[in-house]
Amino acid sequence: MAIIVEGGRAEPCSERTLRAMFEDRKSVFVDLLKWDVPVLDGRFELDEFDDANATYVIVADPDGDHLGSARLLPTTRAHILGSLFPHLCAAPPPAGAEVFEITRFCLSRRQNAVSRRRTRNRLVSALAWHALERGIRTYTGVAELAWLQQILAFGWDCRPLGVPERLECGMIGALAIEIRHDTPELLAANGIWDLTHGPTEIPQAA
Amino acid sequence: MFDRVDAFVRDVRGLETEAELAGALGEIAHDLGFRYFALTHHVDVRASCTAIRIHNYPEGWAEWFDEQALGKTDPVHRASNITSVGFPWSKLPEMIALTADDRRVLELARSHGIGEGFTVPAHVPGEAHGSCSFACVAGERFAGEHVALLQLVGAYAFEAARRMRRSRLPGGPVRLTDRQRECVMWAARGKSDWEIARVLGVSEATVGEHLRHAYERYGVGKRTLVTVHALFDGTIGFLEVLRR
Repeated sequence: MAIIVEGGRAEPCSERTLRAMFEDRKSVFVDLLKWDVPVLDGRFELDEFDDANATYVIVADPDGDHLGSARLLPTTRAHILGSLFPHLCAAPPPAGAEVFEITRFCLSRRQNAVSRRRTRNRLVSALAWHALERGIRTYTGVAELAWLQQILAFGWDCRPLGVPERLECGMIGALAIEIRHDTPELLAANGIWDLTHGPTEIPQAA
Repeated sequence: MFDRVDAFVRDVRGLETEAELAGALGEIAHDLGFRYFALTHHVDVRASCTAIRIHNYPEGWAEWFDEQALGKTDPVHRASNITSVGFPWSKLPEMIALTADDRRVLELARSHGIGEGFTVPAHVPGEAHGSCSFACVAGERFAGEHVALLQLVGAYAFEAARRMRRSRLPGGPVRLTDRQRECVMWAARGKSDWEIARVLGVSEATVGEHLRHAYERYGVGKRTLVTVHALFDGTIGFLEVLRR
């Protein structure tokens, strides 16, 4: 089941799903990947971009337990690539009403390799579906290059925005993914498209 | 130089044959300061009709390479299986324990005129590993300033090769059922059919049946081989097998 949470409103997604998402984010980004990001109450990974402007695309099990999620930030205001990593782009970072940034792509660690892959496919499909639904043409993002081969293997139209940068822990680079009407088909050709249970869209806050 | 790589990324999407990809890779390798490139799946290419292997290594070197069936034992390939970002070959001794044979291979490459190189590993879960390497002529300067760009070139080239290979695959990758997968995972942990039957709460005969079907899907006849295949293509993970 995929859930889209927009405009800072949680229902009909339960509090529990959101709490589990922030907990899983802590487990992945702080405990596993050792990112230096704020942690709330020692349990939740939340930063200044987790506000009413953020959209969450969440994959949950039938009980509403968080399996995977991504956070979308509008590029018309402060966002990670524009504010923190503009030097990763050869030209000014793509921005505008039709451009959203994918951040905090997270797969819960409480899954084995096979279910993680299934969750990943559902999350990628839900991201493409949401973009088509909302008129988003481009997703941008900062990615560890360790993931680049996998991101390309999804089959969608993904291009680099500039020269990657070497950090102590590896390499990061800026990417842009163009979402078009044929994106679901490209994902399907690579065995990724999985949207058997249509996403539940939550209306934008007034 | 990013513009050059950006153009390569756009071009490579439209390429349809390995010869076209080899041409494009040769040109961009040259523009970034490297005489040679080699893009390959890490399997014995003679044994796998769908594996991709393109390069512009000097005559003689590649033939020798194939004759020795080095595809799987090549030290560069072994090292690229333990990392997800590119590495210069000079780092090999820090990455893996080099055997006497490995050192012989590296010396032989040098005697064929192949100098320092940089390898970009390519891992896609559930598929055979591969890599894309760039090397300069022995004795020439290694263009270390371009390694971040090589990383991009390698990834996009490998994805193009993967797309070409997929169109040749008859039935797609091997898929096990959840039950077959579980049996193979427990077999990899050293459990007998009887023990697996106890863990899963099914009969020993059922476990035997699941494993036999898993053998068939991989086209192998041995317990050890089926676990190695399943580990290699990511059907089961090292972490779950090694977990206490």
